[in-house]
Amino acid sequence: MANSANTNTVPKLYRSVIEDVINDVRDIFLDDGVDEQVLMELKTLWENKLMQSRAVDGFHSEEQQLLLQVQQQHQPQQQQHHHHHHHQQAQPQQTVPQQAQTQQVLIPASQQAAAPQVIVPDSKLIQHMNASNMSAAATAATLALPAGVTPVQQILTNSGQLLQVVRAANGAQYIFQPQQSVVLQQQVIPQMQPGGVQAPVIQQVLAPLPGGISPQTGVIIQPQQILFTGNKTQVIPTTVAAPTPAQAQITATGQQQPQAQPAQQQAPLVLQVDGTGDTSSEEDEDEEEDYDDDEEEDKEKDGAEDGQVEEIHRSKNKWKFHLKDGIMNLNGRDYIFSKAIGDAEW
Amino acid sequence: MAYQLYRNTTLGNSLQESLDELIQRSSLRGCVTFTFSQSQQITPQLALQVLLQFDKAINSALAQRVRNRVNFRGSLNTYRFCDNVWTFVLNDVEFREVTELIKVDKVKIVACDGKNTGSNTTE
Repeated sequence: MANSANTNTVPKLYRSVIEDVINDVRDIFLDDGVDEQVLMELKTLWENKLMQSRAVDGFHSEEQQLLLQVQQQHQPQQQQHHHHHHHQQAQPQQTVPQQAQTQQVLIPASQQAAAPQVIVPDSKLIQHMNASNMSAAATAATLALPAGVTPVQQILTNSGQLLQVVRAANGAQYIFQPQQSVVLQQQVIPQMQPGGVQAPVIQQVLAPLPGGISPQTGVIIQPQQILFTGNKTQVIPTTVAAPTPAQAQITATGQQQPQAQPAQQQAPLVLQVDGTGDTSSEEDEDEEEDYDDDEEEDKEKDGAEDGQVEEIHRSKNKWKFHLKDGIMNLNGRDYIFSKAIGDAEW
Repeated sequence: MAYQLYRNTTLGNSLQESLDELIQRSSLRGCVTFTFSQSQQITPQLALQVLLQFDKAINSALAQRVRNRVNFRGSLNTYRFCDNVWTFVLNDVEFREVTELIKVDKVKIVACDGKNTGSNTTE
């Protein structure tokens, strides 16, 4: 775990700057008649790029919170720490912005089971998923998550997938995973057996329409609903298969089973768990190797520093620098200072 | 007007890139009769406004929310003072913070005059 105080303050500071900026420009956006969704997309893009740059560690402290939660909930089976190496597989392939045309209503059922559980995606298992550039609010708006269910955080897993943590009004947290492809790989802390499912599952997989216009694809997975055993996958059959975005509605009231009315059956829900037959872990390793290679190459990871000058002093060839309020990028990582004092000889 | 100095940082660059993406993007709207219309998601003007807002936000955040000190030492390779902006290139630099030591072979420092900006607020 990072030991420097700087690595704790930098993500927080960045987060707060992002929040400030987004909130401040919201008015400007609205004045210009630009949809709020675009604002959220901007935020998502911004955060994604920050994560991709790997300049900031532990950008999402929510990760650690979730890990803690999972640990406390006595299911340490499928936990993995999120390394600092984020393997990016998400590419900006989806240039077509997601239109908020979906009309789905998702109401996660009230949790009767134990304390809210969280799916901690296994880094190795999550693959083949393109993180769409959907912001939290955009996906919420798209899926018409009810009030009280607000995307809280976005988690970037090891394989670079963008998950969103959605916190429902009842305090339960779900991990919502927007995705374009239908392949979903996850591990869930197996809590409940198929027969003992109390909380109805609301599960949607929105497969991309074959027309080229891809609506949202998202999966909301409630824990206890998906059991992965070995290399087989089972979807506990209280779920609904992929509904058409614009037409299907899923309503769940209380503890009842969700009634999904998919007008069209999209591509089937495919869940895969990779056990020993995991090929993408090789990719991950390759990526890691590539990263190391970059460091060894002559491609210098320069340092760059932007700041303000309090004073610059020179005596013969001895220079003294008094700088303030600066952002540094050293060896690829970001640091921030309020004061920097330096000496150099010319 | 806040310094635009911080636009060339990780935070600033990622914002600029995101804005550029949104400008480049056009939203396709199709309707039943297969006519499509395109419109920019955001205008360059709007992007500029966002960046200006970013300048204000980052300047104020740095001035108010950061409270740590760094020392560094190295050898000065080049220096430049032009348009009230200092640019230095140092070699073999060690940055020392309370908790850690960072070494780089080469670092470029760009610094604007900080005397006219609001001094650190005392809180």
